Amino acid sequence: MKNNIKVQRAIHNLTQQDLADRISVSRQTINALEAGKYVPSTVLALKLAKLFDKTVNEIFELEAED
Amino acid sequence: MKTSYLFPHRFKAVSGVVFVTAFLILLGYFIFDFENKFNFTTKVFTIIGDTGFGGGGSLLGDQVYFKLIENDIADEILIALIIVSGIVFGFAKEKHEDEMVAFIRLHSLAWATIANYSILLFCYLFIYGFTFFNVLMAAMFSQLIIFIVLFRFKMYRFYTTLQHEE
Repeated sequence: MKNNIKVQRAIHNLTQQDLADRISVSRQTINALEAGKYVPSTVLALKLAKLFDKTVNEIFELEAED
Repeated sequence: MKTSYLFPHRFKAVSGVVFVTAFLILLGYFIFDFENKFNFTTKVFTIIGDTGFGGGGSLLGDQVYFKLIENDIADEILIALIIVSGIVFGFAKEKHEDEMVAFIRLHSLAWATIANYSILLFCYLFIYGFTFFNVLMAAMFSQLIIFIVLFRFKMYRFYTTLQHEE
């Protein structure tokens, strides 16, 4: 699964730590998400979408192997 | 997501210290034979037990049920400490508990179970006789120990190797 969290974060001018604090996870989790090493739960995906004011589909995208 | 079955974070440090200390003392019991140097023999209540070598008709003595017998309680105390502190340490909340930590914990637990039973199967097939008694002793907490080591290692990597990006 691909995501554009890093881009959205840049648009909203947030550091990884800021974003982590807003959605109450650790900075390492944001890092793992951006690196595509971790697929978030639905709850976390919805929290991100709400914070960035986008739909989940606009942030996350399926890849061929999913 | 809230996980409810974990112990509070404040128990983590103290249970970790108790776990390591009790484990080292127990190793001492096995390796340096503390058992003959310190003796904590007392009366204990047993559901099923035996009267020990030479205590009755058969080799292991007579079997007794629901009785008080004499026993060295040092190993009972140590194993109780290891199991309780190990469970609390392994399943205490991290400082920043989130869903990725829960994922890492579950992953470590699955691998610890597979590794532990692989080792047990290997030992069952290739270790025979009275030595196998040692395998059974180790099997009492080997899964817990493998889990804790694996989980701590993965958490260490999680906290350190990911580069900070702004």
